[in-house]
Amino acid sequence: MDHRDVLQLAPLILASLIPSILLVSNVFVSERNPFRVPAFVTALTAGLAGLAVTLQAVVTLLGYPAREGRLYALVQLDVVSSAMLILVCTLAVVVVRYSRTYLAGEGGLDRYARSLLSTIASVTVLVISNHLGSLIAGWIAAGIFLHQLLVFYRTRRQAVIVAHKKFLLGRVADLCFFGSLALMSTEVGSLRIDVLNEYAERSTGLLSPPLQLATVLLVLGVLLKTAQLPFHGWMLQVMEAPTPVSALLHAGVVNIGGFVMIRLAPLMSRAPVAQDVLLGVGLVTALVGSLVMMTRMSIKLVLAWSTIAQMGFMLVQCGLGVWHLALLHLLAHSFYKAHSFLTSGNVVETWRGTSLVHAHKSLWTTFVAVIVMGTIAAGLYLGTQRLALHVEPALRALALALILSFVPMIAKAVAAGPRAVGRVVLYTLGATIAYFAGHQAFETLIPSMVQGPALELRWWLVLGGLVALFLVQTALQLSPNGWLARFLQPYVHSGLYLDDWFTRVTFRLWPPQLDRAAALRPSDFTRPSRESRTS
Amino acid sequence: MMTPIPGSGPPTSAAMRAAAEKACARIAPTWPLDRFIAVNPFWSCTDKPLPRLAASLAALSGARLLVSRAWYAQEWRDGRLRPEHLREAIAESGSGATEDQLTALFWIPESTTPRRPLAVDVMDARFNRELEVSWRDFIVERVSRFCGAYFDDGQAQIGPVKKGGLYASWREGAKGDRGPSLFMGMTGYRAIAATLPSTADEMMVLAGTELGVPSQELENYLWALLLDVNGWASWCAYLRWTARLDGSDDDNIVELLAIRLAWEWIALRAGGEDLKPEWQQAMASWPLLDRAAHESRVNDWILQRAAEIAWSSKVRTQIPAGFDAAPIAAPTAQVAFCIDVRSEVYRRALEAQSADIQTMGCAGFFGMPIEYAPLSAEAARPQLPGLLAPKYRVTDTGVADGLEGKRSARLRAGQAWKAFKSTALSSFAFVDAMGLFFAADVFGESFGRKSRHTAEHESAGLSPLENSTRTPRITSTVGGVTLSVDERCQLAESMLRTMSLTRGFAPIVALVGHGASTRNNPYAAGLDCGACCGQPGEVNARAAAALLNDGEVRAGLAARGLDVPATTKFIGGVHNTTTDDVVLFDEAAIATSHANELAALRASLAKASAVTRRERAPKLGLGAMSDAQLRAAVIERSLNWAEIRPEWGLTGNASFIVGPRERTRHMNLAGRAFLHDYSAEDDKDASVLEAIMMGPMVVTHWINFQYYASTVDNRRYGSGNKVLHNVVGGHIGVFEGNGGDLRIGLSFQSLHDGDRWMHAPIRLSVFIEAPRAAIEGILEKHIKLRELVENQWLHLFQIDVGSRTVSMRRNGVWVERSPD
Repeated sequence: MDHRDVLQLAPLILASLIPSILLVSNVFVSERNPFRVPAFVTALTAGLAGLAVTLQAVVTLLGYPAREGRLYALVQLDVVSSAMLILVCTLAVVVVRYSRTYLAGEGGLDRYARSLLSTIASVTVLVISNHLGSLIAGWIAAGIFLHQLLVFYRTRRQAVIVAHKKFLLGRVADLCFFGSLALMSTEVGSLRIDVLNEYAERSTGLLSPPLQLATVLLVLGVLLKTAQLPFHGWMLQVMEAPTPVSALLHAGVVNIGGFVMIRLAPLMSRAPVAQDVLLGVGLVTALVGSLVMMTRMSIKLVLAWSTIAQMGFMLVQCGLGVWHLALLHLLAHSFYKAHSFLTSGNVVETWRGTSLVHAHKSLWTTFVAVIVMGTIAAGLYLGTQRLALHVEPALRALALALILSFVPMIAKAVAAGPRAVGRVVLYTLGATIAYFAGHQAFETLIPSMVQGPALELRWWLVLGGLVALFLVQTALQLSPNGWLARFLQPYVHSGLYLDDWFTRVTFRLWPPQLDRAAALRPSDFTRPSRESRTS
Repeated sequence: MMTPIPGSGPPTSAAMRAAAEKACARIAPTWPLDRFIAVNPFWSCTDKPLPRLAASLAALSGARLLVSRAWYAQEWRDGRLRPEHLREAIAESGSGATEDQLTALFWIPESTTPRRPLAVDVMDARFNRELEVSWRDFIVERVSRFCGAYFDDGQAQIGPVKKGGLYASWREGAKGDRGPSLFMGMTGYRAIAATLPSTADEMMVLAGTELGVPSQELENYLWALLLDVNGWASWCAYLRWTARLDGSDDDNIVELLAIRLAWEWIALRAGGEDLKPEWQQAMASWPLLDRAAHESRVNDWILQRAAEIAWSSKVRTQIPAGFDAAPIAAPTAQVAFCIDVRSEVYRRALEAQSADIQTMGCAGFFGMPIEYAPLSAEAARPQLPGLLAPKYRVTDTGVADGLEGKRSARLRAGQAWKAFKSTALSSFAFVDAMGLFFAADVFGESFGRKSRHTAEHESAGLSPLENSTRTPRITSTVGGVTLSVDERCQLAESMLRTMSLTRGFAPIVALVGHGASTRNNPYAAGLDCGACCGQPGEVNARAAAALLNDGEVRAGLAARGLDVPATTKFIGGVHNTTTDDVVLFDEAAIATSHANELAALRASLAKASAVTRRERAPKLGLGAMSDAQLRAAVIERSLNWAEIRPEWGLTGNASFIVGPRERTRHMNLAGRAFLHDYSAEDDKDASVLEAIMMGPMVVTHWINFQYYASTVDNRRYGSGNKVLHNVVGGHIGVFEGNGGDLRIGLSFQSLHDGDRWMHAPIRLSVFIEAPRAAIEGILEKHIKLRELVENQWLHLFQIDVGSRTVSMRRNGVWVERSPD
């Protein structure tokens, strides 16, 4: 074994140590000081993750040839996995640290700490997996351990009902995955992700029908697990769990579906049916979800609908084949949403700051903003035409979406006066730079992911959807009592009744096993063991 | 078949309206989170003695107004509750209970009190929904979700169609609602909803007629419906309260009642003919259930009283030791604090630093009936107790020209940025562009919290330097008219007289307000102040000090018989109750003339802060460490985004003592007493006493009962588990978890440390050093105060230095208790 072997194996060994340490540390969690071990272990594993990713980067830069071996068959650490590993491990540190203070005084924290460690361990397993079997196993395990966290308050009826709903969806998703894996295994002869991807890259044209079916099944599982309509209800109702659990779920678990799609990008790129499903469901979820988000009046539900919509958007990006953008979106959303949940107590403070002055909104400022941004868009378009620059349809669509995105901000600034406009112009420029810089950075980071021009039709569909969303949101905001509002209100406010319907049907088929005694008691304020010990 | 219930028959519109108004008047207001005031949730029910009200509420809503028996047992075991207290309580109650009967209660689990069934309960029972979401929960959820969307103020960007008011808006939505049929399987819902009457009044008459509630039960029935959605009813009561303070009115609470009543009607209709006899039987059970509730916990109330006696007798027996204490002859400094119980600890610590420092207690708004319009703000916020309406306006003076416009532009640009962040379409681009930057925020908050400041709203849109130039001063009346010299003198005079500070001025008089510093805490305002609309006292203290230093005002005061020596200077300050640091403001004005005095005071304050922190440390779970470490630790807590118990606020409050400080200076009241300075000698017409009893005494009672109610029934009168809190409408209140009713009161974590209750739920004992005649005269004049005393919402004691007694007011007479 020469130093090359050592150097190439080291990152993989380090990476596989991470879930092992997290799992083993479970044993050492004490009841008296339940977060001491997790705090230490998550810090340690975050360090290991950093080291592993750095070493892997060195190996990649040195350009060593690919190797074979048992470990290589199971574990890999490419750019996507590295990014996700760092994300999960650092989030774990933050969530543990937060929980330690936040949950002080609650009963059953050793149970909480163990479930937390196990959930994180499972996610890291799937992140570094090079094998679909262990990936799916990790995913299922993450769901089961997370379930323990979601029912941390076991006596809360809502919590139990929701966990039941999530459990049902999880099992259906599992069936999809098993079917998919069986098909892939028989068709390709291996469940190794690198083998599957290579197989897809080598094959000319589209995948075989069984493989197409396998990808569609996989996508169905992803949709179920990524809170896409109409299977999104549990996502809204898990607010019955402590805030840091929500942060972990929204930033580190619900996005796994996107991660899996990105990992299998070469395979998925040759599965147009599966991509169409991703695109269709994702787009509907993104549009409906973001619109419903605007109607929600409690902070955590706003955040939950926002996640549903953002996950939809991420899957749309997968459906379009812009994998690097999907990865950027996944990571960016994770940090943003973790922060939003963990600071959700701050909304009152923020409200007090912003409500010092009242916002004006009026029709004409929106028109002004539309005209200004429209002029810029037309200028850009004509400019590229005149200079005969080649602009990819993707870029054109993204630019238009971004331009529309700035309209509400500019409309508000115009209403507020020239000084505010000055500042907002700077904000617009800054955000534009950050937006395209992010895109560029991820494109260089994972160039292999960039696929050839996707079907133009898909881009037009997405763009049409986004423009429609813009029109509807503007109409609803400017004319809250208008006919469109009156027509749409009941649907938007109720989230299209999709969850009501879904809950009714599933609970008919499989009612939740509520503790009868607990159910008969009025849903009184109850807490885990600790209180019963004292009062 | 069934005997007709007397008094049944369709109620008239007027009768229905009258009953509804009475029921609505039973609901106490709840203030929004940014102005979180402690309120007695039973403020509109003080016409009944607490035990009787408790029984009524138990029957109507299932509320529990007594702490669990385990708590009394623990008090007994810890030796705080003793046989003599039980004997005294038994004697007072005049019942035949024995001590053994009371101590036996420690071993008998509380029986659940029966609650009057409503029409939806009958529906639930009939359709056997106990393994699914019950109709009752479903309806609370629906009504609450609608109210949240309707009253939302700053969270949602698209609201429901609001035309025609609360009921009309609900009706519009209810007619198209598919939830009841889809989710609950109520097949006929849409047909029934289509026939909902168009106004709240018509709805009430229709429901009144069809439900057939006997007229003598109507008010209680409607009250029970409001209690079912007590959170939102309290919010509507707040809207009504503030509207009436402004001289107008607000009808949302009646419309809310109509909505809840409509659900009863819908349930009855949907239940069909079979449900009606069952509903009749349910109504017939009400008197029996009432009686059961009234009989169930009679002896517990004696136990409760004994626990109160245990505390008040301790205070009562300690006071006489101060009868011979003399006031400080020539104080080097006088420091006035708010009456807040947290000040008691600090005052004791400060007095221990020097025998020549005199501390005083008064209402922490320093008698300044002001509202504060911060720089660039479009609206002013009240800076005084919620019982009062502001008269004068304070604004920021001393800032650079143009800063107002600059700040305004920055705040508006911030709002525009928020539109980019949270509008449907933009949110996608926002995440792509800005999301990764939040990584820095997440780790910054988690690890580097030193740089964070907690009260963002105060400094929003200002750099620290710009912020420091703000000098709040009274600049006009609320109407914008400049104050005359006479008005300013009047204000200064009433302030000094209310504090009983009319002679013996020290060279330096500090007015120290208080505020808390917490991060990521929806209840931050509640810790800032439980009374003054949740605002810290800095603005009041600074404005008051400046007023009293004014030459013209000094001359005017002299003309009014208040001789403040020219050498006396006033200075404003603020006591941070989370870190126990005290900061003084506007020192430059007196830095040259009073350099030594100021330095000495600052040194004493620093030492007192350290002593105070040490006294509080055990409760915060902070062990042995040096003064500097302790200070670092409390500051860290105040900045930690995950800290759910930054401080203990007003937990433990149990007494309000009105009198000169000499009477209590020797006592360690353990941060459980509100202290107000008062000198009966200087108040011959008892007008100051009247102001104290009408103002601070009511406020302390409100605080006491907010803590009481949140402790004994956290589900109905507290806000539940803070870990699950979900802020509603930007600043209106919280849901616990996903939804349910709006929550009022204090969170479980504010009262309980995980192992035990930090607050002892006992009624306030008020000690006043004033002539009996004066106190009686005030009680005679104000029926509300009389109710509080006679119905035992608080226990009133009189301190009489002349006869060296402390006596208690009981059943309209003074029961003398000479010091043993």
